[in-house]
Amino acid sequence: MNDSILVIGGGIAGINCALNAAKYGTKVYLVDDTASIGGMMARLDKTFPTNDCSICIEAPQMFDVDNHENIEILTNTEVRKVKKVNGKFKVKLMKRAKYVDEEKCTGCGSCVEACPVSITDEMDGKVGGVRKLVSMPFPQAVPNVVSVDPQCRHGEMRKDGACIGDCAVDCSQCRECPIALCVKACEKEGKKAITLWQANKNLNFEVKSIVVATGITNAKPVGDLLGYDVYENVITNVQFERLMNAGGPTAGEVIRPSDKKHAKKIAWIQCAGRGLAEGRGVPYCSKICCMIAAKQTIITKEHDPSVETTIFYNDLKAYGKGFWSFYQKAVDNGVRYVRARPYEVFEEPESKNLTLQYEDLETGKLLKKEVELLVLSTGIIPNTRNKRLSKVLNIELDHLGFFKESDPLMSPLETSIDGIYLCGGSMGPIDIAESVVQACAAAMKAVVRN
Amino acid sequence: MSKDVRVGVFVCDCGTNIAGVVNVPEVVKYAKTLDHVVVADEGKWSCSVDYITKLQDLIKENDVNRVVIASCTPRTHEPLFKRATKEAGVNPYLLEFVSIREQVSWVHMKEPEIATEKAKDLIKMGVVKAVLLEESQEIQLPVKTDCMVIGGGTAGMNAALHIARQGFNAYIIEREPKLGGLLNHICFISHDHHKIHAAKILKKKIDEIGKHPNIKVYTNAQIEKVDGYIGNYTVTLKTNGKSQKLDISTIIVATGMKEIEPEGQFEYGNDQRIITQLQLEKLIGMWNTQGENENVELQIPNTKLPIKDIVFINCVNSKNGSRGCCHVGCHNSVKNAITLKKLNKDIRIHILYRDLSMIKEEGEALEEAKRLGVKFLRFPDDQYPEVKIENGNLKLKVYDILLGKEFEMSTDLLVLTTGFSGNEGVDEIKGHLKVSTNSEGFFQESHVKLGPLEFPADGIALCGCAKTPISFKESCEEGMGAAMKASIPMKNGYIEAEGIVADIDLEDCNQCDLCSKRCPFNAIQVDDDKQPEVIKALCKGCGLCSADCPKECISIVHYTDEQIIAQVETALAENPEKKIIGFVCHWCALGGVDMAGVSRLQYPPNARLIRVMCSARVSMKMMLRAFELGAAGVLVAGCEFPTCHYISGNYAAETRVKRAKRKFAKKGYDPDKLWNVWCSAADGPKFANTMREMVKQLL
Repeated sequence: MNDSILVIGGGIAGINCALNAAKYGTKVYLVDDTASIGGMMARLDKTFPTNDCSICIEAPQMFDVDNHENIEILTNTEVRKVKKVNGKFKVKLMKRAKYVDEEKCTGCGSCVEACPVSITDEMDGKVGGVRKLVSMPFPQAVPNVVSVDPQCRHGEMRKDGACIGDCAVDCSQCRECPIALCVKACEKEGKKAITLWQANKNLNFEVKSIVVATGITNAKPVGDLLGYDVYENVITNVQFERLMNAGGPTAGEVIRPSDKKHAKKIAWIQCAGRGLAEGRGVPYCSKICCMIAAKQTIITKEHDPSVETTIFYNDLKAYGKGFWSFYQKAVDNGVRYVRARPYEVFEEPESKNLTLQYEDLETGKLLKKEVELLVLSTGIIPNTRNKRLSKVLNIELDHLGFFKESDPLMSPLETSIDGIYLCGGSMGPIDIAESVVQACAAAMKAVVRN
Repeated sequence: MSKDVRVGVFVCDCGTNIAGVVNVPEVVKYAKTLDHVVVADEGKWSCSVDYITKLQDLIKENDVNRVVIASCTPRTHEPLFKRATKEAGVNPYLLEFVSIREQVSWVHMKEPEIATEKAKDLIKMGVVKAVLLEESQEIQLPVKTDCMVIGGGTAGMNAALHIARQGFNAYIIEREPKLGGLLNHICFISHDHHKIHAAKILKKKIDEIGKHPNIKVYTNAQIEKVDGYIGNYTVTLKTNGKSQKLDISTIIVATGMKEIEPEGQFEYGNDQRIITQLQLEKLIGMWNTQGENENVELQIPNTKLPIKDIVFINCVNSKNGSRGCCHVGCHNSVKNAITLKKLNKDIRIHILYRDLSMIKEEGEALEEAKRLGVKFLRFPDDQYPEVKIENGNLKLKVYDILLGKEFEMSTDLLVLTTGFSGNEGVDEIKGHLKVSTNSEGFFQESHVKLGPLEFPADGIALCGCAKTPISFKESCEEGMGAAMKASIPMKNGYIEAEGIVADIDLEDCNQCDLCSKRCPFNAIQVDDDKQPEVIKALCKGCGLCSADCPKECISIVHYTDEQIIAQVETALAENPEKKIIGFVCHWCALGGVDMAGVSRLQYPPNARLIRVMCSARVSMKMMLRAFELGAAGVLVAGCEFPTCHYISGNYAAETRVKRAKRKFAKKGYDPDKLWNVWCSAADGPKFANTMREMVKQLL
């Protein structure tokens, strides 16, 4: 259909863009390169400044996307090639195999139970998150189907006890499997949904406009920044979010990695790594970390008022509606705000507690503070996929690596190519509400283009 | 009950997920014995294409006209079975979904017999409800293509242009004599590196609007009255003393904001050298026109006093007990400092601030200002600078945090970066549209995160600084986004609502008006005789009105009192003392129940859950019936605060539960048997723990 649009990225911006366009009557291809739509928001515990449960408000929208007749969801899918012909875009996508028949899989989880290998989860690893080689991205995933880790199928997990990968021929040659426990478990359920021999699939279609909604990424602390790579009890704010989440690796218990005990003294370091040499930290204000810290301390205090929470910060960014009173709520709940930038962190070898050294900016004094768990607010960086995608789409990135609008004031959200629009975290640090606004606006532009 | 009710019960094995615990053949056999059931069948995977075909055949063969599906959870699979039922010729509202995986087999894995009994109970409750179900259908309300945009500033103009581009009609209602709003009062747009004059941007927009045949602009216009609802508004407008009426389909609110006058603060009003940022913009505009000289001589108008030193105080009337961050102040002050430095590089500028939070491009402007020699000085949150006029000189005392010292400085011009509030006329608009505002005079959107461009009531969009202070670029985006929201119903030509809606039986109605006041969506309109009428296309079916109606004359399709009470009675028909009746909302509470299931959390099997759309649907009468029949406990479960899919239904439910406790105690029941839990859809453990606790304390 040549009246359709392509939305790249299935996070909260992509979802809203797709939903609005679909409701308008436009056919939408919603593409995400992970196994489920939902993006960053699906992994959060709460949203500031109201402490709404994140998945509770996002899941109904994901569900609407799934059920809308105008939306086709393509997960595990990458945009490979885009060519503009007569004002329309010919796009070529590749759907990477999940090794699961998405039509047949009901997400029952029998295969997951049967899988013998647990590996460290990419996102939750440091806070104890594990997943099986066949797994569901998260319980509310859309589509609600499992996927098999390609490493397993390629035989790379054999040493970790994987049941397959030792054969003379590789999986693509077979049409059934007598060894794989996931295949067996699925067959036992009478489904035959696991298809290890599945191949990647190329897809081609034509669209009239494209919306880029690739979202944000949380910056990983580089190396030993403030002890991150060295000490077990130093984590990022996203990892802390996973700790708070009832659906996370610890079922919502704020326990520290080293001894799995509830942390009673926790500190947040804002702007961690900011202003350091290139490649060591984020050189700009990411604008949402202040509120994330306020949220995390408030929730921590709600769980257990006796927990001592300290936020080390420099400038407070409380820019949005209700943000300032949210900060005040944190202060009223006993959260201690210290204007300081800690410069050094040491671990106490016995207790695995952490001692921060910092200069209090208001008094000029050099002070120390011992905590049991340290959270680094590392800021928001461009998505790693931006670079490749910018080449595929032939649109520019700015010097930071975010997508660039051609004229932000006269024609916001437009790029140098007519018909390609931007929204959400693809352009820079942004919060959920702002993403939703831009998503609606980009949808407007995308659907009216002829 | 009519004799020809024919129920089909379809029980799913879900592979071994259900059948591995629940004895499905026994359950099917039991289902066949229930009243009105003409067919019951077991499906290995009920949602598979082959079984759906079989299910449809069975419906047709047996002339089934009520369908009960016993399988996973309605939150994921109800739409699929609704479609299947519809294709088989049965009205989809005659389907009832029973959850025997998430509520039975996954949470009672070690007790197959008890699980089987519970599954039977739940299916019986489902059948009893199915028998009472009535047909319904999606409701459509026609919407034409006339959009009224209230406010002709940046957001409003952008909204109108995008509406008009689609061939729809846009009517801009502007209070002032000309379009442009705040854009009329500023020189440059922040973080544009001073390339384009705001006036140029404004002129381009106004020209575009003037040329567009589909946009009609009413200046000096005031809204006198708004009647009706989406697709159907009649707006009375007063322009230059004359009244006229417009037929309007959708509305976009873009009324903007105004700078707060810092009366009585920092000597403002006592000296013309103390001004606000917007007043400074006016001076800059004046100085700007004095040619392209290297260094423009800056003077105070009238007195011609020369200006060498300028001090800005940021966060005036912001970030205090009553107002938040003004969001635009930091980059406004930096932007204006740069402009001034470019006009005259010898000017000394100090910006006194609390926090400087400038993201991305704004950060670059900050660096530029520093390069140009603008000085920044941070004062403590609780110690604002003091301003004095001494012998005609402006003097300041300010404490610098970084140096830990107090400074005295004098200045020739003092600029106060003051906060903003909602515009004049907000209260009237609020009354006309029946929407709400916050204490700062800004309109309250339907949801802070996911509904930033709309109000709870369908058909009214919101954008720009009317909601909270935002930048020029953000206003443009919001205008476009709001245009999208308003365009969807206009493009479709109608809005559609699910058939789960309120229905008022006027016979018993005593015109108390409570329902229309309590409806969060303005879906109940009251005519001149105080007769309420449900605008069905606007009703979301939460049931708040029904549960609160003192005359019990409002029923909710698919969730009638009769149906829910029949479920309560069926659940408690045997061994009521061992059973807990749980009313759970469809959204988060049932989400929590499902999460407990997915996570295989094992909890006692005493609960019999009854789904409602919102916890606010649960009336006193329903809870009381469970008490009368001797239930071990009653649970009302809704969304975790502050989330509610019907704005505030859970708050209403909480209030009602408190009242019910008092009332039931007076009747001689133990109020401690009535529980509530507010549970997020991610919080399976919370629901499971509630069940364990209830059983521990009540049984």
